[in-house]
Amino acid sequence: MSLVEFEFLVDGALRKIGVEDRDGTFFFSEGEVLLEAAVRRISANELLFRFNCRTARVYLARDGDRTLVSVAGREFVVTEPSPATRRLLEGDGRTPEGSIPIKAPMPGRVIKLCVREGEDVRRNQSLVIVEAMKMENEIQSPVEGIVRKIHVSVGEFIDSERPLVEVEPTKLSSLGGAGHDD
Amino acid sequence: MFKKILVANRGEIAVRVIKACREMGIRSVAVYSEADARSLHVRLADEAVLIGPPPAVASYLNMERIIDAARRTGAEAIHPGYGFLAENATFARLCEDEKIVWIGPTSAALALVGDKVRARQTMEKAGVPTIPGMNSISRSPEEFRATALALGYPVMVKASAGGGGKGMRIVRDESGLVPALESGMREAKSAFGDDSVYLEKFIEEPRHVEFQVLADNYGDTVHLFDRECSIQRRHQKILEETPSPALGPELRATMGETAVKAMKAAAYNNAGTVEFLLDGDRRFYFLEVNARLQVEHPVTELVAGVDLVRRQILIALGERLSLRQECLGQRGHAIECRIYAEDPKRNFLPSSGRVALLREPTGPGVRFDSGIFEGWDVPVDYDPILAKLIIWAEDREAACRRMAAALDDCVILGIHTTAGFLKDVVNHPDFRAGRTTTAFIEKNFSSWATGGEDEERRELALAAAAFDALRPSPGGAGASARGKQSEAATAWTTLGRWRAGGHEPRGV
Repeated sequence: MSLVEFEFLVDGALRKIGVEDRDGTFFFSEGEVLLEAAVRRISANELLFRFNCRTARVYLARDGDRTLVSVAGREFVVTEPSPATRRLLEGDGRTPEGSIPIKAPMPGRVIKLCVREGEDVRRNQSLVIVEAMKMENEIQSPVEGIVRKIHVSVGEFIDSERPLVEVEPTKLSSLGGAGHDD
Repeated sequence: MFKKILVANRGEIAVRVIKACREMGIRSVAVYSEADARSLHVRLADEAVLIGPPPAVASYLNMERIIDAARRTGAEAIHPGYGFLAENATFARLCEDEKIVWIGPTSAALALVGDKVRARQTMEKAGVPTIPGMNSISRSPEEFRATALALGYPVMVKASAGGGGKGMRIVRDESGLVPALESGMREAKSAFGDDSVYLEKFIEEPRHVEFQVLADNYGDTVHLFDRECSIQRRHQKILEETPSPALGPELRATMGETAVKAMKAAAYNNAGTVEFLLDGDRRFYFLEVNARLQVEHPVTELVAGVDLVRRQILIALGERLSLRQECLGQRGHAIECRIYAEDPKRNFLPSSGRVALLREPTGPGVRFDSGIFEGWDVPVDYDPILAKLIIWAEDREAACRRMAAALDDCVILGIHTTAGFLKDVVNHPDFRAGRTTTAFIEKNFSSWATGGEDEERRELALAAAAFDALRPSPGGAGASARGKQSEAATAWTTLGRWRAGGHEPRGV
């Protein structure tokens, strides 16, 4: 049977993986062969890999367009990259022009704004304090730059979709795939 | 025996108490907020009463609604679990007035030990060693500044109504004092509805060792030995064990006797815990009394062989304690890992979402106290604890190994959890050697990232995702990845490292 190739985004990195079924033995490749294994579906959420006389159980679940995978106590989120993400990741990986929207990684309530619009911020400086699950969480700036816009106010309930603050980087710095990993 | 008990809590602890009730032939009543209508404790209880909207102040902290639920369902007793109203003397008093049995200490004992400052005064009088610090509450920044100077920096800001690390701040020098007081007061206000804070001398790198106590309503008091809870993040315990690797038999006996003395001084009844700090010179100081069932109570249950929730219920019924100190002992070793809905890779930010898949670890000596199930949405309104994994084994080393294996077997997909992080803690050489202090996490795990060994697991994950896309599960969720067919069959000449068998994935 012919090779089928998939493009996946895992831990912020784009990976191209090919799979070929040769009489029940699956060949997984990424340029070179990664793994040659017999794979059996135990249930909708559980796969059994057999290779080199060894077995590995892998659990997976689907959540919208994400495939959640657990391997030996480690979890991975595998997604199909959107065309925009693909362009970005295949580019030079540098900060795009203009301001970077800073989002909260979880919903919560804004309890303090630590900066004002126009203020200079260092990398890892606290921007906003958000209370979620009874704990205070500092949202920090991923870059050195200038606070261009503050979108929230104290007491406001925020979700993890809308930007809290926009910071314009003063130095071109690598973002390390921030905001694209899941 | 009680016929019906109302459980004024949620999550894993509500489930724990509901199960104890069922074993004892007692009907259970769950209370729940609108955010918890589908939660596990509601499913398991015999009856369930909606008590309000999601915010805790309007539901799990709403005394009127909970008392009303008890009256309406005819519950004779209330078990408060931990957190929420568990140490609220006003609520315990309200129950007493309503002739509802409070499964916990009397409101008078609660008021005494719940007020950290009064508790310090009482302990000093009883001859229990305490940490140098303020013996009264202050609102004046000058007084805080003067006290801090007299104690010598670093000092610790603590909430008078405190617990669980809420409102606590370490202050290293004078410039940090006012911001720490402000943010400590704000967090204390939000967690306890009381912003009173005080100062204590900060003890560098102490161990946190506590003693479990049971006391009946007639003054008979025993301790069930120690728990070491030094592994903490942001003053929150994340892993507990017993026996403590730091105590020899003599120190253990002395501290146990002191714990009993402390509880007697407070006229304490029911289950409670006396927390101590143990410094580098093995001097111990009274920290506080936790006037409730503790999150980490299971490790004591496994090693002392006593069911603490059952004992709480029997004591509340007015039974005499049938345990005698000289007959109690410790057998084997137990460790608990708290599995939180937090992302260790993003500075432990709370994670919410749907539990897409859950596989609970099982096996000899493995206990999983959980408040979650597959398909459940983790609400953002409450503490992020999902479950506790508790291990018993013959000795500490065996317990560590069993814990590491069980953490691997614990599969929770859909939300970030601390399970992987905890496994690295358990496997850390300093932890294995018993070198655990409250600075352990900060020292060894200040920037935690999963190691390079993950690449092999990542490849297996990718292979699984590719297989799943190629051969979707019948009746599965569909929407699988669209692969690109390629007619150019590759030459399978390159032997990948997995085939060669030279570098096989670790832990797979």
